[in-house]
Amino acid sequence: MIEKALGKRKNWIDGEIFILAGLLLLLPFLLPYKTLPAEIVIYALGAVSFNLLLGYTGLLSFGQAIFFGSGAYLTGLLLIHFGLHPMLTLALSGIFGALLAALIGFLSIQQVGIYFVMLTLAFNQLAFFMAYQWKGITGGDDGLLNVPRPDVSLFPGFELPVQGNFQFFLFVWVIFLLSFIVIRRIIHSPFGRVLMAIRENPDRTRALGYNVIQYKVMAFTLSGFFTGVAGGLYALFIKMVPVNAIELVTSTDFIIMSLVGGTGSLFGPIIGAIVVKIASEILSLLWARWLFILGVIFVVFVLFMRGGIWGILSDSWNKFTATRAGQGEKP
Amino acid sequence: MILRTVNLTKNFGGLMAVDHVNMEVEEGAVHSIIGPNGAGKTTFFNILTGEISPTEGEVFFREKKITGLKPHQVAQMRIGRSFQLNSLFKNLTVLENLRLAAHSQHSGHFNFLKDFRSFTSPIGQARKVLEEMEMTPIAAKKAGELSHAGQRTLEVAIALAGNPLLLLLDEPTSGMSPEETIRMIRLIKKIAKQRAMVVIEHNMKLVWSISTVITVLHQGQVIATGPPSQIEKNEEVQKAYLGGTTE
Repeated sequence: MIEKALGKRKNWIDGEIFILAGLLLLLPFLLPYKTLPAEIVIYALGAVSFNLLLGYTGLLSFGQAIFFGSGAYLTGLLLIHFGLHPMLTLALSGIFGALLAALIGFLSIQQVGIYFVMLTLAFNQLAFFMAYQWKGITGGDDGLLNVPRPDVSLFPGFELPVQGNFQFFLFVWVIFLLSFIVIRRIIHSPFGRVLMAIRENPDRTRALGYNVIQYKVMAFTLSGFFTGVAGGLYALFIKMVPVNAIELVTSTDFIIMSLVGGTGSLFGPIIGAIVVKIASEILSLLWARWLFILGVIFVVFVLFMRGGIWGILSDSWNKFTATRAGQGEKP
Repeated sequence: MILRTVNLTKNFGGLMAVDHVNMEVEEGAVHSIIGPNGAGKTTFFNILTGEISPTEGEVFFREKKITGLKPHQVAQMRIGRSFQLNSLFKNLTVLENLRLAAHSQHSGHFNFLKDFRSFTSPIGQARKVLEEMEMTPIAAKKAGELSHAGQRTLEVAIALAGNPLLLLLDEPTSGMSPEETIRMIRLIKKIAKQRAMVVIEHNMKLVWSISTVITVLHQGQVIATGPPSQIEKNEEVQKAYLGGTTE
């Protein structure tokens, strides 16, 4: 009875993780584009982190590019000026993203609904113009150029090479999986369940004795951490930081990916990142105004397929297993 | 005395929704609040639980002042409430609704690196309430899929799952059929044995069968308080509420 009503207890690592790892590892072999697989996985990390807010807490944040862009700038600057270990810069980018998210989250969630959304949007514009104007640090419109991508020394005398496309993909793949395992753990923790309760009914959650504001700030902080890490990876990936990493359009990228893939699960945003990135790549070759088509796809999903691609897949799977079970009963 | 209000007042821009209410709830009491629509009953609850702040007056819980506390802080003092309109987690299962309610009173609800199913005491508490409210067969159903009566029962069960010292119920039988009401009365009688309760209710059968004390509110003011036998005979109550149309 308990298992039926609450589901099975999840271990840190199980079959789900292995399947996901295996499927992602296929990307470099299936895609004709050399650098796209790493980019997809970086965006997937951003989208999964964003979905902690939208899908699990019910917060539509338009400010994710702040944490992504800041993470990218910090990793870029630390590599350029101090030559730190890339793993350390990624961790610092995560911490920086988390701190910014705690601050911006705290200020934004003082309002709810549309006012909350507008606040996150305004903060994103603020961050963008700061990056745009502060040329001495960020390079402004030109971007932060010449970010090095040093090999990753795991222990003295052993350096993991990350210069080749596939080598770098593997590095991103490992960071993504580690992050994903932790995020999945959070979703299945008592804390994560309270986030879902807030999504369902914030007033009742508060009446039960949970400090909803504190939980929302925590959700922002965790989301900001992983988004900051994704930003750091992005700087390593393109060996520069373009100013649009912190622009509103990057926030909307994560939103579109999550909605197209499906916000109801952790896997939806990954599928969304894969589909949207591949579609952009193909469409941009076909037509200069390809963003228009992407917009139409987005609208279709929001209007007619609220569960996203993952929702369609899991519904079909449920129907399939239900009919099979039905056939078993009545021969 | 588990709950005491002193001159509790809420003024909504000139409308006195709650007007200098002094109320005392004894330990173990089942204290009903009755009164016509708009008498200020739900507003009174909302002040008790910190959803809205009073214009004037104080609330004491076991002689500790709780006025000015936020709703989650009031809940942490183990004051549970149900709502007049169902306020459930509709996409979560019945058991998960109850577990969430129970877990807020247990340690580890801020833990984010351990599976929630490893915390056995809140799950145990949720199962106890499930049995008490006779909901075990529907434990795995989503709250939104229940019948109206089922959702009403869950509404009360969630309030109960935090194991409150004081339970506030806002019209637990509203919208129920006569048979469903009889069942709810039986359940409420059962849970009243273990704790103090304040119940807002329109159903007189329920009020008369469970109450140890009744307070009558009219236009935000207390017009009578006493045991049911006394309230029944009160002339002012007859005029304002029970008889209704003596003009």
